[in-house]
Amino acid sequence: MKTRLILIAYAVISLLGLMMLLSRENVYVVLALIIGFVLLGHRELWPLIRYRRLPVIDERVKNNLTSAMRLTGVFFFIASIVLILMMRFNVFQDTPTALIISGQLVIIGIVYVVTYHYYDRARPNLGERATRWLKICLITAGLSLSTIALAIVLHNLISAWFGFEDAFFFILGLLVAPAVLAASLLGSLVIFIKGLGASFRGVEQV
Amino acid sequence: MKNRMKEYRARLSLTQEKLAEIVGVRRETIIYLEKGNYNPSLKLAYTIARALEASIEDIFILDDE
Repeated sequence: MKTRLILIAYAVISLLGLMMLLSRENVYVVLALIIGFVLLGHRELWPLIRYRRLPVIDERVKNNLTSAMRLTGVFFFIASIVLILMMRFNVFQDTPTALIISGQLVIIGIVYVVTYHYYDRARPNLGERATRWLKICLITAGLSLSTIALAIVLHNLISAWFGFEDAFFFILGLLVAPAVLAASLLGSLVIFIKGLGASFRGVEQV
Repeated sequence: MKNRMKEYRARLSLTQEKLAEIVGVRRETIIYLEKGNYNPSLKLAYTIARALEASIEDIFILDDE
């Protein structure tokens, strides 16, 4: 009952939001939101249209929602820091900021949809070894991310205090740590895809 | 974890949809459970076992057993 009320409230707020966006002629945002809504809720929409009732929100669906929100939150945090650093060092040059942020939001949306639909398929197919590697990859990603922030602060502090250009923290923060971050994120993605592939092939565990 | 849900469901001539209705979950959840793609909570495992007129140990089997 509580979940249904939340969903109804969410639908009403979304409808109002869409009307506001339409009145401001932001048609492309409305289209993106509708596509995202259909991708996320297609399992709910069909019974709602056919049987005029919402399907049960059972523990698997709740688990999926929680996992998807948690993983997307982590991804959002990492992606935002990387994006801020890239913008700080003018990687995008003259690309409009709105376009960059829109791109980030689209990628985050894709991450949410993929984890919501496929996390429960991939997770049970990961063996003990794969799960351990997944944890190592995620912890390494977190540590390398912290290292980037710390190295930048230390580099600036050393430059300000001692008056010379520090090379160690500069290389660590801008080359080594981002490379480790990319490798660990790629590693965790590969393990996730392997688990998903095993589920489609009907393999017990990878 | 392996399970014998499909076998017990067939014994009672229950469809996946009917079992889902009795247990209070979606049909997809029953499909996921039968394929072994989802491990249920203790509460759900108990409800399924009761709906299939068997004990949890009869339905759900740990891999190392």
